[in-house]
Amino acid sequence: MKRRSFLKGTLATGAAVVAVNAGLLTPATVLADWNKAAFEAKKVDEAIKAVFGSASTAESGDLVLKAPEIAENGAVTPVTVDATKMSGVEAIAILADKNPTPLVCVYNYSGPALGYVSTRIKMGETMNVIAIAKAGGKLYKAQQQVKVTIGGCGG
Amino acid sequence: MSIKIRVRGKVRGGIAEIKALMKHPMESGRRINKKTGKPYPPKFIQNVEVSVNGTKAIDAQWSGAVSANPYMAVKVKANKGDEVVINVVDNTGDKGTAKFKLK
Repeated sequence: MKRRSFLKGTLATGAAVVAVNAGLLTPATVLADWNKAAFEAKKVDEAIKAVFGSASTAESGDLVLKAPEIAENGAVTPVTVDATKMSGVEAIAILADKNPTPLVCVYNYSGPALGYVSTRIKMGETMNVIAIAKAGGKLYKAQQQVKVTIGGCGG
Repeated sequence: MSIKIRVRGKVRGGIAEIKALMKHPMESGRRINKKTGKPYPPKFIQNVEVSVNGTKAIDAQWSGAVSANPYMAVKVKANKGDEVVINVVDNTGDKGTAKFKLK
């Protein structure tokens, strides 16, 4: 029994080390490609962690998320994330929390780019749109609920 | 098949807003074909890269949850006449490129 628990223990720590390494490597290596793990994550926190290596975020008034309160057609919901007031914005991610896979897109900024993106996303039902911005090594979050009315009268 | 991209870019006060509209179905792989009961195979743009005068500025990754015929607007520090190149690739390897000068 002792040996078994010992083995379990080492395996667990081993896995943790691998996970940490993967987390640390993600921003530098995988982002040039397509972050499969992040896009297939089914929970918001998992997706954020897979993109940025951490899911702890702070609020900031300089991160502005613009989305409609009511979207009559959830298939084309306009979303704008403006972090141009923040300095050193490295990346912005947009998530829709009740979509089967919440992560919608990730933008990485370098050189002459400003922390700004405007796009249109698909939303299956009423849910929160979440914007995560990474600036100066820290994560900031803004979110807003969008009501999706499917069909007819826009009520 | 190459992906068509329509672009527009205007400089104001040293900052250019670049707008792009792409022609793409953005099929997430979740939509069901009612006739066969099977999902349409996924086909969506995965990578978008924007560079200004040869310097990479924006490198984006998308999922199938970006709307069909995607619209994207981004901002960069730039001057009139700077050359902007946008490259996109979808999950099946189809590519698109747009090259233009800022006004």
